[in-house]
Amino acid sequence: MLVSPTVPLSRASCANRQNRKGGRRLQCGLDAEGAARSEDSDCSSELRGFRGDAVKDLMLRFLGEKAAAKRQVLTASSVEQSFVGLKQLISCKNWRAAVDLCGRLLTAHGQGYGKSGLPTSHTADSLQLWFVRLALLVKLGLFQNAEMEFEPFGNLDQPDLYYEYYPHVYPGRRGSMVPFSMRILHAELQQYLGNPQESLDRLHRVKAVCSKILANLEQGLAEDGTTSSIAQENRQASVQLWRSRLGRVTCSMANCLLLMKDYVLAVDAYRAVVQFHPEQEPQVLSCIGRIFLQQIGDIKAAEKYFQDVEKVTQKLDGLQGKTMVLMNRSFLHLGQNNFAEAHRFFTEILRVDPSNAVANNNAAVCLLYLGRLKDSLRQLEAMAQRDPRQHLHESVLFNLTTMYELESSRSLQKKQALLEAVASTESDCYNTHCLKLA
Amino acid sequence: MEVNPPKQEHLLALKGDLFNQLMRDDPSTVNGAEILMLGEMLTLPQNFGNIFLGETFSSYISVHNDSNQVVKDILVKADLQTSSQRLNLSASNAAVAELKPDCCIDDVIHHEVKEIGTHILVCAVSYTTQGGEKMYFRKFFKFQVLKPLDVKTKFYNAEVSTDEVFLEAQIQNITTSPMFMEKVSLEPSIMYNVAELNSVNQAGECVTTFGSRAYLQPMDTRQYLYCLKPKKEFAEKAGIIKGVTVIGKLDIVWKTNLGERGRLQTSQLQRMAPGYGDVRLSLEAIPDTVNLEEPFHITCKITNCSSERTMDLVLEMCNTNSIHWCGISGRQLGKLHPSSSLCLALTLLSSVQGLQSVSGLRLTDTFLKRTYEYDDIAQVCVVSSAIKVES
Repeated sequence: MLVSPTVPLSRASCANRQNRKGGRRLQCGLDAEGAARSEDSDCSSELRGFRGDAVKDLMLRFLGEKAAAKRQVLTASSVEQSFVGLKQLISCKNWRAAVDLCGRLLTAHGQGYGKSGLPTSHTADSLQLWFVRLALLVKLGLFQNAEMEFEPFGNLDQPDLYYEYYPHVYPGRRGSMVPFSMRILHAELQQYLGNPQESLDRLHRVKAVCSKILANLEQGLAEDGTTSSIAQENRQASVQLWRSRLGRVTCSMANCLLLMKDYVLAVDAYRAVVQFHPEQEPQVLSCIGRIFLQQIGDIKAAEKYFQDVEKVTQKLDGLQGKTMVLMNRSFLHLGQNNFAEAHRFFTEILRVDPSNAVANNNAAVCLLYLGRLKDSLRQLEAMAQRDPRQHLHESVLFNLTTMYELESSRSLQKKQALLEAVASTESDCYNTHCLKLA
Repeated sequence: MEVNPPKQEHLLALKGDLFNQLMRDDPSTVNGAEILMLGEMLTLPQNFGNIFLGETFSSYISVHNDSNQVVKDILVKADLQTSSQRLNLSASNAAVAELKPDCCIDDVIHHEVKEIGTHILVCAVSYTTQGGEKMYFRKFFKFQVLKPLDVKTKFYNAEVSTDEVFLEAQIQNITTSPMFMEKVSLEPSIMYNVAELNSVNQAGECVTTFGSRAYLQPMDTRQYLYCLKPKKEFAEKAGIIKGVTVIGKLDIVWKTNLGERGRLQTSQLQRMAPGYGDVRLSLEAIPDTVNLEEPFHITCKITNCSSERTMDLVLEMCNTNSIHWCGISGRQLGKLHPSSSLCLALTLLSSVQGLQSVSGLRLTDTFLKRTYEYDDIAQVCVVSSAIKVES
């Protein structure tokens, strides 16, 4: 009989979605030929292949060859070699294959593997492909790879990224071909590489341009400040677009400040977001309340914000408002050590919204703090089995494996069962660290 | 940067929307505002982390029957061993009658940590196997308790009405995460009444003097100010007290992330009474700000601090570069009995602008032929007459 190692009940933490360690080196399948980068501004970026399935590797080690052979994932070759195929790969979470496919499509465009250093021509489509590839690299946590591939684009304002550079392809069109989201990504990437100040600087530049454009539009000029004769509804649409972009960049700044732990500025920035997205007011207020609660420990301030949320959601009908209020109440109880009450509120959310993974996970964590390990495990396992594709979130897996280790020193078997469940989701981008199979 | 006329269908299909859909599908994002980064999913801690003095150490202890036999008479004891003592932490001391295979006995223990340094959690389990054999084993878990706050105190004597003492407490957060100060108060000793000076009344509401910085980042310091006034029954003695007096102790309550609470009290703070010798000169009244080269009045209180001698004192006033006394220097003040005092009104003016120090009073004890010098007894702000000062 054994005493399993104790689980210290210092505070459970709420994982910030940014807290991913940067730049994990990944097994490279196909290496790009090491072509030298040209000094010239218009040149393509170097591409690398991204094969490799961490889940399959674990399966080979722990479940045997037969089981590993059954592993099904979509690869870049198993779908149509077009945007349609790309969408398919992305929506079924085969992001590594999607990165690969982007690489192939870009090669077809004349950029890509081994093509670095050659003059190239961008099109709006090819830039979209680049954006998708870079966004996926960031989502996979491959920040250094993303940074490398961003480099040839400079600060995204090089001449060959503008429509005017290709008068034969886009006659008469003016402006930048770079998708706005790509600029945001370019700025945000720096914080994941440990340079949050650089992120802020870049975001401020984007914000300044958005503000200038909005000012131009509101004065009756075209976006670039020249006189224009845009129809009224087009002008309205443009103003709408740029306001929402301003909101997006403000939210990015708030997230960055949160990462830097500058809570005073982060809260100010989040409040500014509400101006651009008033429909998100309750979510943003809840977020601010939770910053006070989770990061700072100021319960009174948190309570005040949660009360504001209640006032705002009273006017809304539907599930979302109710769930938010209940979630906030549960967190308040957590902050005051009332695990029984917190559990009650999380369970209440489940009654109203049975598929709410957060409430499910958190209710189970409360059970652990109340000394009910078996009940907690049962709840999490039921959740994981119910809809693996939806609910096998990294945090849930992490909690499960931690509790298996707490329960018994024979946790390996149960972890292997989890591995099988993960494998069955057919997604190729799992962060397998959460399985804790050394 | 320019507007892209949003007309291409296939672009839209890939743009933002696909990734937004992914964010909406992700169970851990906030519904309706998926861009917000703050997570809602709780994850369990992986190790003891940092434990600080004043916090509560909690641990989940689980005893699991790995075998396929029923086990009897299980007694689980959890003790905390520090460098100075051994504490029993288990909630119940009764033995559990039996434990079936694959079942477990769970206990959650809490302990408010009161010592710094190495702590060892000792879990001892004794049980009887099915065959009647008595078994016993122990497991040790070591952790360190660190100091969370650095507290420095400084005493200031009030210039006027010298019964009052001001205490400045500097509290520094020496942990690695932000800290919210829920309550910092001074519990005075029986001699004093305390007034806290860390909030002001603004439009009926109590507003803290710390502004929008509601919390302490790691290595930040905050200064708290308290005013201590000796109680009536001790007031008379306060002027003549010599040596060490006990002022009171600081009670600090703080919260860190997710409301984790910590509480510390300092030991009794002591103050060394300033040495007055046998004769004490203090200020009863002095203006804050005066006009340049305009005479102003102050009131001094001279106390005979000895217990037996009646004193015959002579007051002399000496000018400095900036302070010029008006009146008669070298006059006799009359007899002053032991433990009694007299009040004296004096006039002076300053010839230099700025913050000036009042100096230059000399009291001579005619019997002992001893002179006491009083310099820098107070400060006064001297402004040019162009600025109107309310008298």
